[in-house]
Amino acid sequence: MLFSSIPFLYYFLPCVLTLYFIVPKQMKNGVLFLSSLVFYGWGEPKYLIFMLISITQGYFFGILIEKYRGTKRSKLFLAVSVILSLFMLGYFKYTDFFISNFNAVTGLSIPLLKVTLPIGISFYTFQILSYSVDVYRNEVKAQKNYLDLATYIAMFPQLVAGPIVRYSEIEKQLKSRTHTVENTAKGIRRFLIGLAKKILIANLLGQGIASFQASDSKSVLFCWLYAISYMLHIYFDFSGYSDMAIGLGQILGFHFPENFDYPYISKSITEFWRRWHISLGSWFRDYLYIPLGGNRVGKARWFLNIFLVWAATGFWHGAQWTFILWGILFAVLLIIEKMWLLPFLKKAKVFNHLYVLLIVAISFVIFDAPSITQAFSLIADMFGVGGLPFISLESVYYLQNYAVILILAAIGATPIVKKLLNSAKKKKFLNVILQIVEPVFLVILLALCTAFLVDGSFNPFLYFRF
Amino acid sequence: MSEKIKNFTIILLTGSFLVLFPLWGIIQSDQKESISERRPLAQLPEITKESVLSGKFMTDFEKYTLDQFPLRENFRTIKAFATLKLFSQKDNNHLYLENGFISKLDYPINIESIEYATNRFRFIYNNYISGKDINVYLSLIPDKNYFLASEFGYPSINYQQFFDYVTEKMDYSQYIDIVHLLEVHDYYRTDTHWRQERIVDVAKYLAEKMGTKVTGVYQKNKVPLPFYGVYYGHLALPLPADELYYLNNPEIEGGTVYDYETDTHIPIYDFQKVYGKDPYELFLSGSKSLLKINNPNAASEKELIVFRDSFASSLAPLLMEGYSTITLVDIRYISPNILKKFISFEHQDVLFLYSTSVLNNSNTLK
Repeated sequence: MLFSSIPFLYYFLPCVLTLYFIVPKQMKNGVLFLSSLVFYGWGEPKYLIFMLISITQGYFFGILIEKYRGTKRSKLFLAVSVILSLFMLGYFKYTDFFISNFNAVTGLSIPLLKVTLPIGISFYTFQILSYSVDVYRNEVKAQKNYLDLATYIAMFPQLVAGPIVRYSEIEKQLKSRTHTVENTAKGIRRFLIGLAKKILIANLLGQGIASFQASDSKSVLFCWLYAISYMLHIYFDFSGYSDMAIGLGQILGFHFPENFDYPYISKSITEFWRRWHISLGSWFRDYLYIPLGGNRVGKARWFLNIFLVWAATGFWHGAQWTFILWGILFAVLLIIEKMWLLPFLKKAKVFNHLYVLLIVAISFVIFDAPSITQAFSLIADMFGVGGLPFISLESVYYLQNYAVILILAAIGATPIVKKLLNSAKKKKFLNVILQIVEPVFLVILLALCTAFLVDGSFNPFLYFRF
Repeated sequence: MSEKIKNFTIILLTGSFLVLFPLWGIIQSDQKESISERRPLAQLPEITKESVLSGKFMTDFEKYTLDQFPLRENFRTIKAFATLKLFSQKDNNHLYLENGFISKLDYPINIESIEYATNRFRFIYNNYISGKDINVYLSLIPDKNYFLASEFGYPSINYQQFFDYVTEKMDYSQYIDIVHLLEVHDYYRTDTHWRQERIVDVAKYLAEKMGTKVTGVYQKNKVPLPFYGVYYGHLALPLPADELYYLNNPEIEGGTVYDYETDTHIPIYDFQKVYGKDPYELFLSGSKSLLKINNPNAASEKELIVFRDSFASSLAPLLMEGYSTITLVDIRYISPNILKKFISFEHQDVLFLYSTSVLNNSNTLK
């Protein structure tokens, strides 16, 4: 089920929240778990079983890891749990990738399995992995209550698209959490802003991107329009979903970690990755980069560690060479920055922003491309190498068609509005106005989003399959 | 307003919105069809073990909630306003509004589609016409984009290239160019079609080029109901209705129409259709696969077979004066393979009369 859908907004959510708030405290996790199963099973009921298997193995091995802590058995149980989790993820997500590459290299034609990727498997697998490792490291206690662990892993706000919440971050909240009017109102606001980011910006930009992809009258301008649109689209799509997840969590009394922090204002790629998909970046740092030795090794090994981590980050996004290339591109850039570029970027006033935006725009062209060849072809077109005309009637049309949305998106990708609101709140008169306007504005946003949902059918979610 | 009151207001307002609408949806009786979009609306799907396990129930339920959402038409209008005014987009659902006319973006040229259509026409020519003493004509009707798109900066097909391509593929036909006789005001503002009362010159010109005569003297009658065309509902903006006129003369009044599909005679102007979902179906009852118009008052013995789309429904009555019979074939609804069962191709003239939009989206041709 998508957050940005009528069944979720107008049927699932009111029912679940009503039930959640009327049941006694000790039953709230039960309501959350059951509603999460309905939420997950709504799209693909047959894949519920795989999620339950993953949760169950995580639960039992967590207990065993703790029971035999300090012995070889503990390590063994951790290894088994990790292998089981990765096997499940690997089977569904990567088998066909390996088969097709094996076929390409050997000339064989082993048939592809063509299995459908269960929704959110990348996210909940990483949560189970982090839980098992944290128990092994004695950073958290194994959860003895199956329902509490299952509620953590399957919790519908963050189940299908993150943020990747660590067990340690909500361990206490699973047992006891407070529900206040203030938190609920803040959660609603966050959710609705995320919903608007998704429906009013990301989906509309997505339509423009689809038009570009379908067009056979491309131009240099059109290619740039696509690259900029995609860059903003993916940010508003994913950060909008994260906002909705965090907002829902807040309504339910949880505090999920932030996942985005205005990444497009970064002055370096290093900074960009501190602001983009924060929960994934920190996951790879804590569970892969540091165990590999991080930067406390020789230079060659350090570089290798960075390459491995970023290749894995790319591969996590999808079973395609484009994603791996996308990850490696960032590895190279991060190494260059760490070795030479960062001091210069700190001093450069405007260039550093332009540099980040250009690199990120190009990186997302690779990310979105169906193949590496097509990615390079499009990048060549962007720089006028592909022999395309600079401008076409179609590109001018789309520029006019999306100008306002692009401007709104560009402003929304910066903290300008947040800063303006914060400074307005400091002035008594403006603060009173804002207090009155805010509830009305939120209802208008909800009505607008509803209008777009009711009328439109273009509502995909990019990170659903990751 | 204190922070606390504001928070309560946020919860109350948004909570009410999210609760009241589904309740309203449950209480109200489900609509069967959307008049404005001219399509049946999704109904509550049956819940079965199979439909749930396959996910079909969920997909159908989502369609149902979208189609039966309370105040759906109003929400669609809000969306159209937001798209065109708030976000300053130039089209909504690929429809744009310029000079009071709604037009649908249709580009680029779909060569595959034209190939397919002209191959179907070639099949008709090869199987029924070739080698016979039959004059074959072709005429193409541009859509409204021809008159609006370039002037207002919308992308559109290259019409000259389009016409050249089709005429080249139909080299067995004599092309009658009618484009110079048309302007945007010859079309309904809210519909895709042309206005019968404004295409008399087209009828006269076609008749002349096909070797017959139409005087062009008609009595103009107005349908006493507002006409909201197909684009009106799709754009979802409150716009003034069109006026629907039909033309009469002794030939039209004395003519009869035989409908092969139902083996019945139908009127040339079907006034019941004016009250239906598509009032343009007034002309020859709308979508019909095979019709034969008989004109007992014809001065000429000439006969005409028209391979056509819906544009011909309003044009054909105007040509009656010049022909004793006009057979109308719409190969979107009848396969050309079986035409010999119904039509004997011998001495008639044949006219292929198609709009550019049908040829550019020809997958419905059989």
